Amino acid sequence: MLRALKQRTSVFSVISILAALLIVIPMLNILLEIFTPASAAWIHIRENLLRGYIINTVVLIALVAIFSALVGLFSAVMVTRYEFKGRQLLSWFLILPLALPSYIAAYIYADMVSYTGTVGRLLRSINAPFSIDVMNMGGAVFIFVVTLYPYVYMLTRAALSRQSASFSENARILGASPFRTLFTVIIPLLRPAVVAGTLLVVLETLNDYGVVAYFNVRVFSFAIFDAWFRLGDTVAAIRLSGVLMLLVFVVIFIERIIRGKRRYASNVKTKPLERKPLTGAKRFILPGLLWSLMALGFFIPVMQLIYYATMTYQTTLNLELVYLVVNSLTLAITATLLTVFIALMLANYNRTHQSQLKHGLLKITNLGYAIPGAVIAIAVMVFFIDIDHALYPLYQLFDANAPRLILSSSLIMLTFAFVLRFMAIGYNSIESAYDKIGTTYTEAAYSLNASKWKTLWTVDLPLIKQGLVSAMIIVFIDVFKELPLTLILRPTNYDTLASQVYRYAREEMLQEIAVPSLIMVIISSILIYLLTHSRKKGVPANVRPN
Amino acid sequence: MKKFALTMLLALVVFSASACTLGVDSDGESITIYSERHYDTDQILFDRFEDQTGITVNVIDGDADPLINRLENEGEDTSADVLLIADAGRLHRAKDKNLLQSVESETLSNNIPSNYRDSDNYWFGLTKRARVLVYHPDRVDESALSTYESLSNPEFEGRVVTRTSANIYNQSLMASFIEIMGQDDAKAWAEGLVNNFARQPAGNDRDQAKYVVEGNADIAIMNTYYIGRMMNSSDTFEQEVADTVEVFFPNQETTGTHVNVSAAGVTRYSPNPEAATQFIEFLSNEESQSSFANANYEYPVNEHVEPHDLLKSWGDFKAQDINLSVLGENSQRAAIIMDEVDWR
Repeated sequence: MLRALKQRTSVFSVISILAALLIVIPMLNILLEIFTPASAAWIHIRENLLRGYIINTVVLIALVAIFSALVGLFSAVMVTRYEFKGRQLLSWFLILPLALPSYIAAYIYADMVSYTGTVGRLLRSINAPFSIDVMNMGGAVFIFVVTLYPYVYMLTRAALSRQSASFSENARILGASPFRTLFTVIIPLLRPAVVAGTLLVVLETLNDYGVVAYFNVRVFSFAIFDAWFRLGDTVAAIRLSGVLMLLVFVVIFIERIIRGKRRYASNVKTKPLERKPLTGAKRFILPGLLWSLMALGFFIPVMQLIYYATMTYQTTLNLELVYLVVNSLTLAITATLLTVFIALMLANYNRTHQSQLKHGLLKITNLGYAIPGAVIAIAVMVFFIDIDHALYPLYQLFDANAPRLILSSSLIMLTFAFVLRFMAIGYNSIESAYDKIGTTYTEAAYSLNASKWKTLWTVDLPLIKQGLVSAMIIVFIDVFKELPLTLILRPTNYDTLASQVYRYAREEMLQEIAVPSLIMVIISSILIYLLTHSRKKGVPANVRPN
Repeated sequence: MKKFALTMLLALVVFSASACTLGVDSDGESITIYSERHYDTDQILFDRFEDQTGITVNVIDGDADPLINRLENEGEDTSADVLLIADAGRLHRAKDKNLLQSVESETLSNNIPSNYRDSDNYWFGLTKRARVLVYHPDRVDESALSTYESLSNPEFEGRVVTRTSANIYNQSLMASFIEIMGQDDAKAWAEGLVNNFARQPAGNDRDQAKYVVEGNADIAIMNTYYIGRMMNSSDTFEQEVADTVEVFFPNQETTGTHVNVSAAGVTRYSPNPEAATQFIEFLSNEESQSSFANANYEYPVNEHVEPHDLLKSWGDFKAQDINLSVLGENSQRAAIIMDEVDWR
């Protein structure tokens, strides 16, 4: 059967291998730079700065990982294990902070607690003996946790709603207290979900530049830009990202070792966990905690944005915004479709092939998420300029006066960079959806002589639709708010909502970011709402409120 | 599923349409600007240039260093005609990488004083900004202020704020000191200054002014135009901050206040260098210069143009007498010294 499958799915493998090559070549191009001789700037970085960067990075990601894992786990357990007022609403509200880019949250919080901000003024008016300062490591941890914990929350809640009640019931029958059951049975079973979510949070944190630059927290992404901008040494910047990638591999490797040979898959199909009503003071305190979390990660910053908008809408709310919205939407949709399509091909290739080549291929195509956006930008630009040079004779066939740089001055370059960058997110969501359905349906279709495409379209896709949709929405939101790639690779006269926000923020016109930021938040929030409310059409247990 | 697929298809069509119409220029003459400046008022200037000359202006805006990197990667195939960025040091870097070309223009020589353009005419300063001391008049007596150097004295311990060493304006300030006082003295000064910091540097220029008003610090080192722009902020509380603080031009008796420029150069491989030169000439004329001055509180480089009333109220000042190219020549050394004295 396997062999038959292999022959039938060759189209997936062709597309997969092509995609992998396209992703790997630009990376190789850039990684080769590491072998050039060390420059004065690099020696300076290695001798004087590298230690600090590593320590700061480890501290930042450790704190962000611990807190977002705790917060995400706590909120997921609350909405799936307990019954309380407002639970249904919270179960999707808790995802909303994803709609608010971390860098915007950072600007807003820094302004709110500053001398002129709402909180700063409030503290002064009540003669508070202290003021709040968020522009430091602690502030950065806070910003990342309240805006990124939804990754842990989403994955953990999905795992919890799949978890069978039989494990905890057995524990109870054997005499374990509810508390003990929670900590020795339920939570340990959630480990893969919590770890996967936390890993996403860590990678997003490592990739952020806006927050750490504004707060002056000297971590790797800061260091990479610093080597480039301040020391004027792109090769040193690339070396630094090489070190960062190493760091990422170490994190992933350690996780593998800790997990060891344990496997968590479970096909026990029994009744799901039942929710227990909260009693006593807990009825107010625990949901109160969740609402405060929501307030910090979403409502407070959004309210502040609305307040800014009332101050600035007269100058910033204009027709040009329509053009920005169209650009942002079409770019994000195209990049999302491409990413998810290639991810789908890779996932199909993965489930129907067993080979060493496959494992290597998949690992490499998922690398993009571990490499900082700015480095991807340089790599992709060099790659596309090379392609343009190679294709120049072809361009001349059509037009003797054709410019040499066609692809690299088009949106294709930027779209490609997005695909490279966000492939991992798309792939992992689809793979986990495929894991749940196994290969039996597909095999049955093949054995009935259905073509690969027909099988994919009529059998597989309907089965994994939920995973596909959630992959699309997460990739979409990520592309929608992405900054470094957009800034560096966009063609002339092309702007998006995110680049417009950056433009105002750069000029320190914080209040002016409100209108474009709010539009971004609203569009992403609507998507999150749709993702969590399409139950009728058979959308995922892992994302819908329950 | 079908509806969904249709929606997606529609988006794809719109996308391809916008992607195709993008790089296609109208048949008329055009130039492309790689610009770090993107105030709304700059766009008005670009539009005015289009109206007057019929030459279309295309813009890619972004941070200076990625734009320079893009020019470098595109090499002789670039479509960029003009590089328009802040900080003379960066322009020098672009010149060093052979990304600009020398331009002979009588108009530019007349409009722009020689110390604000490259000695070989590779780039031309368009606006000036001074890096000054901003202080709280209740806590600092003006007579206590004199020079940048004095800020490293013990009397200012725990009273000074400025942005991080990653900020290009601080880096160029440091680079100018290396030129004026030599590397060792510059380093000793930076060490003293860092010891006097009221807090670990963070935030932007406006935040430094807020620290001063808040009482975290008494003196901030910052650029002049931010004070003007805070006075014009859409947030009235920011306006109050700007009204509270006073501006002091240091080193008036000695070496002069540090001045930097935003400047433009014609790219080495510009497809249309004549129009590019024409564009820079346009930006240096009196009309454009007065628009720079009034909209953004920068000092015009053209001496026939008056600065904004606010800037005039601060009076004339003596600027550092150095060729701004040294900011670029010393920039890496400045960065390393700042790291060595732990200016974060």
